[in-house]
Amino acid sequence: MADFQETINGLIQELRRGTIIISVLSQLSKPQYGYSLVTILQEKGVSIDPGTLYPLLRRLEKQELLESTWDTNETRPRKYYSLSPAGKEVYLQLCKEWKSLSDSLESLIKGDDGNGAG
Amino acid sequence: MELVNRYIHAVTHRLTGRQREDIKRELQGLIEDMLEERTEGRDASAADVEEVLLELGDPQKLADQYRGYGRYLISPEVFGSYLAVLKIVLLSIGIALTVASAFQMFTDPMDALGHFLDFLASLFMGFIQGFAWVTLAFGLIEYSRAKRIRTGIRAKSAWKPADLPPLPDHRLSIKRSNPIASLILTILLGLLFTSSLNLFGVWHLPESGSMKIVPIFDETVFRGFLPLILAVFALSIMKDILKMAAGKWTPALIGFEILVSLLHFVLALFMFNDSAIWNPDFMRQMAESGITPAGSEAFYNVSSIWSRTTEGFIYLIGIVILADIIAAAVKAYRFRTIVRR
Repeated sequence: MADFQETINGLIQELRRGTIIISVLSQLSKPQYGYSLVTILQEKGVSIDPGTLYPLLRRLEKQELLESTWDTNETRPRKYYSLSPAGKEVYLQLCKEWKSLSDSLESLIKGDDGNGAG
Repeated sequence: MELVNRYIHAVTHRLTGRQREDIKRELQGLIEDMLEERTEGRDASAADVEEVLLELGDPQKLADQYRGYGRYLISPEVFGSYLAVLKIVLLSIGIALTVASAFQMFTDPMDALGHFLDFLASLFMGFIQGFAWVTLAFGLIEYSRAKRIRTGIRAKSAWKPADLPPLPDHRLSIKRSNPIASLILTILLGLLFTSSLNLFGVWHLPESGSMKIVPIFDETVFRGFLPLILAVFALSIMKDILKMAAGKWTPALIGFEILVSLLHFVLALFMFNDSAIWNPDFMRQMAESGITPAGSEAFYNVSSIWSRTTEGFIYLIGIVILADIIAAAVKAYRFRTIVRR
């Protein structure tokens, strides 16, 4: 039974992995630093651990979807990330894709006529 | 906060230059933020620190994520062929050493135990050497792979069905027996050159008395070339390992094969260009050993063969190596015609 639960956890993790980027981009129209993003997302029910988020932010910056600046005025220096123009464009595209994907899935799940847990 | 510093170091020392400082600062801030949230103003305890670091997880994994790829000496992708080649190389070394050792026992049966102990010692050293060379070869392959990933060449152009490699063509495949034989021969020669050079000679077992060998080479002169010989042999072993690893001819392999052949030739030129390499007392020793008594017909025959061979030897080697190079060139030509189709 423990194995079964592990399988479910693994699948759920896989399902969430694909939504991480869109979640992150959605919160960066205003500059945020890494840990503030973690807390904001957490409050909205999307948990992402910093060990995944920080490298991801760097990757997105390298892909020129994000811009960053170091703010050294506060008590501790923080790197603030925000969407670049290209990032905004990409985010809109992803949103569109997400809507159509979720519509399709919705109809797939509804169309499940009692064969599974539907 | 010693533990925090140790953690940050454990992540950043695995990363390269530019990003290192940046990530260090960022991680510092992150950990402080996480601690602050946890403690809400009170001083962080050792337990708090430990909890936060546990949440961040294995520093090695974090570093891999920052880098974007894992680092390996031998990555899982090539581990299978690494093991296969390693087995063959160790087996070849075992065979070569056993043959050499059996040979020594045969020529000097008095000291059987000594030879056996020598055999075990050289087996041990030989296996370590073989392991090192194979690992080095695969390490180089791995390094170039990682470099391709780092510089992003793999994503250069979209994949097309036309990019599919042609089905394995038997004319381009390398039969394993070829590099294995070459490997065994190279190791055997290397062994003989280093430890039993005196075995290269004319063997004479008189009806009474002990066996005599009249050496062909001048040992001191020959020994002077040994470092060069071993260097070329090492390259040759490397080439055989790469051939086994690839399993088929590629332009780079053909080039390497030709290069190694040329180096063999240059080495031979160095060694045999001047006749000092040959045993200057060969004919006198032949006569003294009683194989060809001075003044006999055999003496004159051997004498004329000896002088002709020592003069012409370099041409003989040249012909063998030329044949090698032509064979490689034919492969290169075939490669072009097959790949063009």
